[in-house]
Amino acid sequence: MLKRIYDTALLFKEYLLLALYLLLSIVLLAVNTTDQVRAIRGNVLGIAGMLQDAFGFVPDYFALRQENRVLREQNLTLSDEVNRLREAALENVRLRQLVGMRDRPAFGYISAQVVGTQVQALRNSVTINVGTDQGIKTGMPVVTDHGLVGRVVSTSSRYAIVQLLLHKDLRVSGRVQRSRVNGIVRWSGGDALHFSHIPKTLDVKTGDVVVTSEFSSLFPAGIRIGIVTATRQHAGELFQEIAVAPSVDFSRLEEVFVATVVPDSNRIALERRVKE
Amino acid sequence: MARSLLLPAISLLILLVQTIVVPFAAVGTIIPDLILIWVVFLGITRGPVTASSAGFFLGLLADVLAGDDGMLGLSSLTKTIAGFLAGYTFNENKTTQTLTTAQFPLIVAVVGLMHNLLYFIIFLQGTDISWEDAIVRHGLPATVYTALVTLLPMFVFARHYRT
Repeated sequence: MLKRIYDTALLFKEYLLLALYLLLSIVLLAVNTTDQVRAIRGNVLGIAGMLQDAFGFVPDYFALRQENRVLREQNLTLSDEVNRLREAALENVRLRQLVGMRDRPAFGYISAQVVGTQVQALRNSVTINVGTDQGIKTGMPVVTDHGLVGRVVSTSSRYAIVQLLLHKDLRVSGRVQRSRVNGIVRWSGGDALHFSHIPKTLDVKTGDVVVTSEFSSLFPAGIRIGIVTATRQHAGELFQEIAVAPSVDFSRLEEVFVATVVPDSNRIALERRVKE
Repeated sequence: MARSLLLPAISLLILLVQTIVVPFAAVGTIIPDLILIWVVFLGITRGPVTASSAGFFLGLLADVLAGDDGMLGLSSLTKTIAGFLAGYTFNENKTTQTLTTAQFPLIVAVVGLMHNLLYFIIFLQGTDISWEDAIVRHGLPATVYTALVTLLPMFVFARHYRT
């Protein structure tokens, strides 16, 4: 009897093995948000980060000369802008004191280098060479001098994974800087981001700058997201279709800055409670 | 002993290359899938048991290395099925012919398309992104890129078996 079962199993071994692997995969898919799995990923991430770091010199070498030239030009422009902004900031302080407004919470930045990229269909992320040892926490926003890059989603002691704006799960509350129109910025593939939930009657034009808004529980307000490249209005639809070109060139990410601010858990909990 | 460790060693090497080096060859957000090529190769040369086993373990490791939360088990599932499908082409007497002709990239393309289709259907559950759109924007270009990369080992095999 046992021999017959064994022979039958041997005869269909490939199907049995397939069923076993599929079952295991489905179980993993079901339990993969547990803390244990996150911990395993964190450890593996550390090892992968070290390897990616070792290969990091390859693109740097070729890009250095070009980068040097661009930085010199930027330095000149920025020096001029800093002077003007200093004046504006002083004026802003005086005006805020005059009307009794609260200051926005201040935060610092930790610089990091991109040492690896993970390109997986609609979920793009990068590995950076700072981790919990440098004070990096899950949820911290990541930016460059050009604008929003994404947010930290996983950390190990010396490395962190940054979920990019080009990720199907990342949605950002955005605002048109000129007309203060609010909406949601998301990516669903392609070159551009979509600025959605904007009624047709609201004022959005090509060339408008989109920044993060105070409505975002993930990111501080005022970080540049991108520029509106096209607006379309379809008959019979309530909202406009707005395309936004990201300010950051994600194909050339090298240096990034992690803003040392974590999402306000009080606010998120309250919003979630009201939603439920 | 050394021979039995060869396949796992090559598999791990391919996984490392896929994770560390291949992103530098990205065209936009499209990259070739070396793991898929390897799994199909195993399907052609060793049959469905080895190919689906390699697909499962390599897919699982690739999911872990992705470092992103949410989808552990997805690549293992899709690559197991890819290995199993590729195993259908296993024929000991025709291995050389399959590897040295356009059959190899063609099998990679067909299996890759099915792999990507399944991947996106599961991956995009609960989102407002249509899987048809994802297939056109990402699945098809990635399949073509992977099939084109397969031409390289195909030419290497053709040269090797001719001499």
